Amino acid sequence: MIALRMFLVQTKMNFVWYFQRDGELIFWTLAMPVFFLVLFSFAFSSGPNSGSSGFLVPGIIGAQVLSSGFWGVGVMLATFREKHLLRRVYLTPMPPWVFFASLVAYRMTLLAAQAVILIAVGGLVFHVHVIGRPWEILAVLLLGTATFVSLGTIVGALARTTESANNIASVLTVPLAFLSDAYIPIDRFPHAVSSALRLLPSTQFIDTFRDVSIYGAPLSHYGAWLGMLALWTIAGTVISARTFRWL
Amino acid sequence: MEQAIVVEALVKRYGSLAAVDGISFAVPSGTIFGLLGRNGAGKTTTLECCIGLGKPTAGSIRVLGLDPTRSAGLAALRPRIGVQLQATSLPEKANAGEVLELYAAYYGIAPRGAEMAERVGLDGKLDRQIAQMSGGEQQRLALALALQHDPDVLFLDEPSAGMDAFGRRIMWAEVERLREAGKTIVLTTHYIEEAERLCDRICVLQRGRIVADAPPADLVAQYGGDATVSIAADRFAPDTALQALGAWTQTEQCWKLATHGEPGLALAAIVTHANAIGAKVDSLDMHRPTLEDAFVALTGETLLESAQ
Repeated sequence: MIALRMFLVQTKMNFVWYFQRDGELIFWTLAMPVFFLVLFSFAFSSGPNSGSSGFLVPGIIGAQVLSSGFWGVGVMLATFREKHLLRRVYLTPMPPWVFFASLVAYRMTLLAAQAVILIAVGGLVFHVHVIGRPWEILAVLLLGTATFVSLGTIVGALARTTESANNIASVLTVPLAFLSDAYIPIDRFPHAVSSALRLLPSTQFIDTFRDVSIYGAPLSHYGAWLGMLALWTIAGTVISARTFRWL
Repeated sequence: MEQAIVVEALVKRYGSLAAVDGISFAVPSGTIFGLLGRNGAGKTTTLECCIGLGKPTAGSIRVLGLDPTRSAGLAALRPRIGVQLQATSLPEKANAGEVLELYAAYYGIAPRGAEMAERVGLDGKLDRQIAQMSGGEQQRLALALALQHDPDVLFLDEPSAGMDAFGRRIMWAEVERLREAGKTIVLTTHYIEEAERLCDRICVLQRGRIVADAPPADLVAQYGGDATVSIAADRFAPDTALQALGAWTQTEQCWKLATHGEPGLALAAIVTHANAIGAKVDSLDMHRPTLEDAFVALTGETLLESAQ
């Protein structure tokens, strides 16, 4: 009960402190993805009904999951350490898992909100139809968030400063978004390259998410990839737990 | 008396630099223990080792019988200690009430925001965001966070740094209230008056070593040197009775007495004698040894700030 209350209060404060009172972040989180969708839809296609928006809606959501893990969590943790917030929290009886669970809960809720907005804009403006089962879509989104939050935590654990965390996050997020079937179809690359790119957890997550949400593919067809994502999550969590420094 | 904290042969090295170089002390339950010294003397390092923020290179530490350098000991200790850190910050966009609410959840207690705000002089400011609070207000909020869960032992690192006179008075009153409540407190300071006023025992640190560890009055008596009385007067000279009070020195018109005894009585005797012989007094001065004198005698250093 005590831990549950800790978790709920911490999650609430994460929202109020790091989102609700940060106008810049609200803009980047809620408006920028829509801007990307509109821009790329027109840039990569001949018109609203060409099908590229159907590709882009889950792709942009997927890219947001990546940046949520590496920027949202990784850089945030490095900032917390640099500003001496972590060492203060370290002195309290709060178990570390409560701290991380509340970060995951906070990020998942933001991502769910982003997904709803992108799907709504995609449907209204670009006639994108989401035909997958809602709980399956949500399950993939949650698993992907868990994967990239755990990998992002490694960034936060290893980076010595906010600046280095920022650099690592950029080096990971930006190329991955372009190489993981998020913004541009990797089928345009030579077969050997696209096959190699399908080994990336980011590609496996985004492709699964797209197929399940837009094309209504059954989740059971993606067992191997979901298993891989689960393994990445476990590996990320174990490495984070061993390398994370509060001080 | 039961010891709340026992530190033995503590060493903390950063590379080749020994920030703390073999110090030992004990703090009885219910007393206030001050670590006094200049910046870099090892005060903060010592305090941080006691709360698990630094791993000692050597030596042992027990706080309430628990070992803060081991994770099991630290876990058992955390709910029972309260800490106000020097190098700490709170989320800029948080407000004071929310921070107190979150920390109440951490300790599994009911939030006591209004009560704590009143105690540290932040009443009516619970909805103020950290970024809009002055340094002193943030320090007082940090003190409230250290106190809210009613811990047995408090660690206050430079608690009055950055505080104005108002904040300092509030902090001092709060520490004195905690003494009444039987809490054990370890505080670091480089303010002489703060150490003298609050501490039952003062440990003077210099370059990572203890140079003295005693109640403030004992430090003054032992190391503060003689009290002095100076008189500048025409045709004045001490008689034999006055000479018996201590050592006299004369520079031009000014006579100076250094005495182990009570300088007030010596002053009275000197004035009586001056009147009796009809000496015309130009000036009179008396100086009692202070903790600062003791500190200077002990360390050969003077660079402590006054709390005023």
